[in-house]
Amino acid sequence: MSRRYLVVFAQAHNEFRIPELRSIAELHGFEFSLPSALDDQDPNRPYMVLYVQEEEHARILAKRCILIKSVYEFYGQGSSYEELHQNNRASRALWSRYILDTSFRFLVTAHNHKIPQARQREVVESFSYMKLMGKIDMKSPEIILACLEEYTSRHGFVRSKHEGDGQFRQVYFGRLLQEGTARSLIAKFDVKKRAYYGNTSMDSEISLLMANQALASPGKLIYDPFMGTGSTAYPTVHFGALVFGSDIDGRQMRGKGNPPGVLRAASQYGTVSRILDLCTFDVTRNPWRRGALFDAIITDPPYGVRAGAKRLGRKKELTPSQLATFTEHRMSPRLDDQPYIPPTKPYELSNLILDLVVLARYLLKPRGRVVFFLPTVTDEYTEIDIRQMLCEGMEVIANSLQDFGSWGRRLVTIRKVNDIQYPPPTFLEHQKGLATTHIPAHKGFREKYFQGFRKEE
Amino acid sequence: MVRLITHNLLACHVKGCNTNNFPLQFKDVQIELREAEFNPDFLKGFMPKLEWKALVDAARQLGDTTLPLEQPEMLDDEFLKNLHHVLLEIHVEEGVMTCSNCKHEYPVSNGIPNMLLAEHEIG
Repeated sequence: MSRRYLVVFAQAHNEFRIPELRSIAELHGFEFSLPSALDDQDPNRPYMVLYVQEEEHARILAKRCILIKSVYEFYGQGSSYEELHQNNRASRALWSRYILDTSFRFLVTAHNHKIPQARQREVVESFSYMKLMGKIDMKSPEIILACLEEYTSRHGFVRSKHEGDGQFRQVYFGRLLQEGTARSLIAKFDVKKRAYYGNTSMDSEISLLMANQALASPGKLIYDPFMGTGSTAYPTVHFGALVFGSDIDGRQMRGKGNPPGVLRAASQYGTVSRILDLCTFDVTRNPWRRGALFDAIITDPPYGVRAGAKRLGRKKELTPSQLATFTEHRMSPRLDDQPYIPPTKPYELSNLILDLVVLARYLLKPRGRVVFFLPTVTDEYTEIDIRQMLCEGMEVIANSLQDFGSWGRRLVTIRKVNDIQYPPPTFLEHQKGLATTHIPAHKGFREKYFQGFRKEE
Repeated sequence: MVRLITHNLLACHVKGCNTNNFPLQFKDVQIELREAEFNPDFLKGFMPKLEWKALVDAARQLGDTTLPLEQPEMLDDEFLKNLHHVLLEIHVEEGVMTCSNCKHEYPVSNGIPNMLLAEHEIG
């Protein structure tokens, strides 16, 4: 029999909420279902009633999901208090065990609104039919019963303090089961408090969400091919996984001083032993001996605004005579030669993404996931942009937008669906992709960004 | 860093260097031993992905002779502890990894190997 639990979401990243719930349920091997009415599944609403098999599953969600503030055992809801009380009476079997001798307190609160004290008292008193005999304890009650009113946003409208009080969209009632504990990790991994970071380091909340999408957990091996300053790695290793990082520019991982910056930051979090290794190479010229190694690939590819992606090669090919001179010098370097740094050329974002998915198909274990951010131009984006990057054996399981107005970035999760061992990619695959006429909105993102996303005249 | 698990996964990838390009040979190495968390399930899951002989040779070269020449069928606790130590606790901090075939040298500094290729080595 499935039980109902009320989830209170944090007010951030609405589109990421349901993918995160699904990921954590998959990681722990259980299922849940969303409410049946489409209106109640709307991820932009602050409260959602989930159907879960076991109480323990609801607790797991609350403890691991970054976007959950708290979870309540659900007793009833309504568009008016009459309806709510009627439903709550019907749920008597769930709360009757608290009647006799359980200390309690009531919490009456609202989303997008502040309820005046007088009415809060009124609401509490309206529950007198429950005949709770236990002691009222405001400090450390055994149970907290909460009444949560949901108001539609009146953002941008001038109104007096308590205007519209009582005109809620829906009101929910339940017993607090579990406070969300994962949200405190956002402060723990705050970039500003980190021992090492760079100008492209990613916000901690987002990197925690990525780690959840990647199903990070003990015993897993996870790879970031654009490691940079390691933002994706710290939450991932926090959840117990081992991380391997590579980058074409070793300076990003090293920073100044010794030990390298990424290891200093990981030491600060007490997880340095889970950074498996760091390695400098161009992922399109990679030294991997074999595929099917990783449980997940998690990365924030450089999209060209602060740092552009690079790959080995030259922007302009050498003439035959230049090439001859170059080869001669490389074959017999002078003794005082500085460490050789090979030339690089820009790596266009839409090509990089196509290559990344093919690489992931090679390097991932069956059912492994690749989780990455894709910047995109809001007006030009279409679903085809995402479908076009897929290849045989790979399917999209989540695609959530972080909206910045004229542009945004999408957290894309793609899964390897079969257990075929594919050949290593040639990194020329994207040339085949060019045969189609559809140009994705993320192509040439850098140029579009610096032109302010103006339409061509 | 450059643990032996990593060493077991990296092959020389210079253009045209396709045979005898694994394992890379350690030279002039400085090693450090650092404790890591023991996870037997991870080790068991990873064993099929290892090139066993390369692992044993590398471990012996670095002075650890606890692993048998053949992968055992019975995975007892002592064996798993030894495997754990070899794979995850021996760190090559400085030195060079050389390809036996094309002699390309991959330097390791502060534990980070530089696997970048020169212009004439890429296809």
